[in-house]
Amino acid sequence: MENNVLIEINNLSKTYLKGRDPALDKLNLDIYNGEIFGLLGPNGAGKTTTISILCNLIKSTEGSCSIKGFDVHKEFRFVKPFIGVVSQDIALYQLLTPYENLVYFGSMFDLPKKELKERIDYFLEKMGLYKVKNEKIKHFSGGMKRRVNLIAGILHDPRLVFLDEPTVGIDVQSRMVILDYLNELNKEGVTLLYSSHMLDEAEKLCTRIAIIDYGKLLTVGTPEELITEYNSNCKNLEDVFLHLTGRHVRD
Amino acid sequence: MRKLLASIQKEYRILIRDFEGLALMFVMPLVLVFVITILQEKTYQTINETRVPVVLIDNDMDSVGTAFTHGVKSNGFFEVTVIQNADSAEMAKARDDVASGKYQMGIIVPEGTTKSIRNRVVALVQEQVPAMMNVDTTGLKKSVQVDLFFDPITKDSFRSIIKSNLREFSSKIETRIVFITYSRIIDAMMNQSTYLQYPEEAVIEFDESYICEFGQQDAPSSVQHNVPAWTLFAMFFICIPLAGNIIKERYDGCLDRLKTMPVSYLTVTFSKLLMFLVVTMMQAAVIVMVGIWVIPLADVQPLQLGSNIAGFVFMTVSAGLAATGYGIMIGTIAKSYMQASTFGAVSTVILAALGGVWIPLYVMSPAMRQISQLSPMNWGIQGYYEYFLRDAAFVNIFPYAFKLLLFFVVCLLVAYFYKKYQKV
Repeated sequence: MENNVLIEINNLSKTYLKGRDPALDKLNLDIYNGEIFGLLGPNGAGKTTTISILCNLIKSTEGSCSIKGFDVHKEFRFVKPFIGVVSQDIALYQLLTPYENLVYFGSMFDLPKKELKERIDYFLEKMGLYKVKNEKIKHFSGGMKRRVNLIAGILHDPRLVFLDEPTVGIDVQSRMVILDYLNELNKEGVTLLYSSHMLDEAEKLCTRIAIIDYGKLLTVGTPEELITEYNSNCKNLEDVFLHLTGRHVRD
Repeated sequence: MRKLLASIQKEYRILIRDFEGLALMFVMPLVLVFVITILQEKTYQTINETRVPVVLIDNDMDSVGTAFTHGVKSNGFFEVTVIQNADSAEMAKARDDVASGKYQMGIIVPEGTTKSIRNRVVALVQEQVPAMMNVDTTGLKKSVQVDLFFDPITKDSFRSIIKSNLREFSSKIETRIVFITYSRIIDAMMNQSTYLQYPEEAVIEFDESYICEFGQQDAPSSVQHNVPAWTLFAMFFICIPLAGNIIKERYDGCLDRLKTMPVSYLTVTFSKLLMFLVVTMMQAAVIVMVGIWVIPLADVQPLQLGSNIAGFVFMTVSAGLAATGYGIMIGTIAKSYMQASTFGAVSTVILAALGGVWIPLYVMSPAMRQISQLSPMNWGIQGYYEYFLRDAAFVNIFPYAFKLLLFFVVCLLVAYFYKKYQKV
């Protein structure tokens, strides 16, 4: 398995300029090719910070991380064509249609025009958005926007996809469409790094899970391994999560 | 190149669908240039066409009284009511009318004014050639007093002008009397009777015109000032939609998405710069067309273009780049749309006020003119004046355009370094 490491995180730390405590505190993780890796933790645990550093959107304070052997901060240009990002925000132009948004983002990967058009039509059809492809995003429901947001992150056929709470705030139907497609994508060999609050969703979807809190890694393993490890107290992943992170409210 | 074209196409679509932004960029400056040009033109017309009411009491009934009446009536600034041979009641009423504001000024030419001048001349000549005159000059050198009384609201400058005018009339009469007196003495000495006439036409004529470096031109109308001034204002006002565009892209997460894609930030920014530069060119074209074809419909002189079109285009591109650079800088530094729109609007208004958009530069005090040179809109207006008012060559326009280009580069550098060294 070790030769198959796709993402390597070593002693990764991050303290924000206006933050008192570190958002990440010497985090160590290896994520392997072909996994659906779940990064779970309460609010402020460091999930989004980890994904943002791996996407080179912010710099780490200490430590290092690499994707496919390329240093994320120094060699990110080699990483870019390989990854797809589905952010927590609806990162779409509201005044454009889904089709126009996807043509624009797809053009950044130099996909041939014909192929790009075929791929856009395929994904819009698959996500149930083909009929509304020429309507402005601003008129869409939250679920429709989330589905377009997902397509924009996977349109160029990336081998590693970062998903930061991709199903937050949407109805069950939209969530099922997204999760089904993520499973399908993983079966095609795409590695997914997924962060969420939805523990039942993570338990069903992820092949391996890490629980972090206050920027530190608390545990890592398959959902079954984690439930077994804390067997005396826990019946499911949610119990494990609460056991490790406590019941007090977070900001 | 494909990425740049896709980015430009995206910017175009966003721009064309942002109706509020379009209104801000096109409708507002057109309304401003139209309304303010007409307002200024009509105000100047009103000032020029409104005559000052004056009451003139001519108790002299001789040359001076006639000359004052004729002079005050003919100069076009006064609405004159003449009362001849007025008694004390009429003179008191005239004073009351001025005090109540019916007239802005009253003039009383007392009885014997012309006679006093004649006597004074005779006394002077007697002193010079006593053998010829042989007149008793006792009491002849008495001066005469013309009464002027003003409404308290009358400006000092107006009082000075009217006193100067009256002095000119009385001086002419005095000169004429001196001429005639000496003419008669010379006739007597020469034993002839030529009765030489005093030449009424002026020896010195004044030829007035506005001059420019490359020939003469009509007086600059308000449209010649307002079209370039409001074009610059409109151009710099695009900093609000441009900064808003940048901030929205950042806050929606689209910029972060682009950062993870194989496209440079330069391509993304360059597409915005090009799109908004085209907007500024269109603004200039539309405002100039309004100056040429629409403003004359309101009975105002049309905008007159200079012959150096290349200079005008160069100046406009430079100003457009300066404005877009300013917008990019604000959009990069501002933390929110509210911050960008407030700072953008306030700073544009301040730069416009300092730069001479509202108050033409030549009306400003010397100190304000010095401060004004700090505003990029001042450089723009100066450059446009070279083209619109002086029809200047490229070399005369270049220094102003160069300053604007430098401002553009500085704005981009500030944005670049702010972004590069911004810490989170």
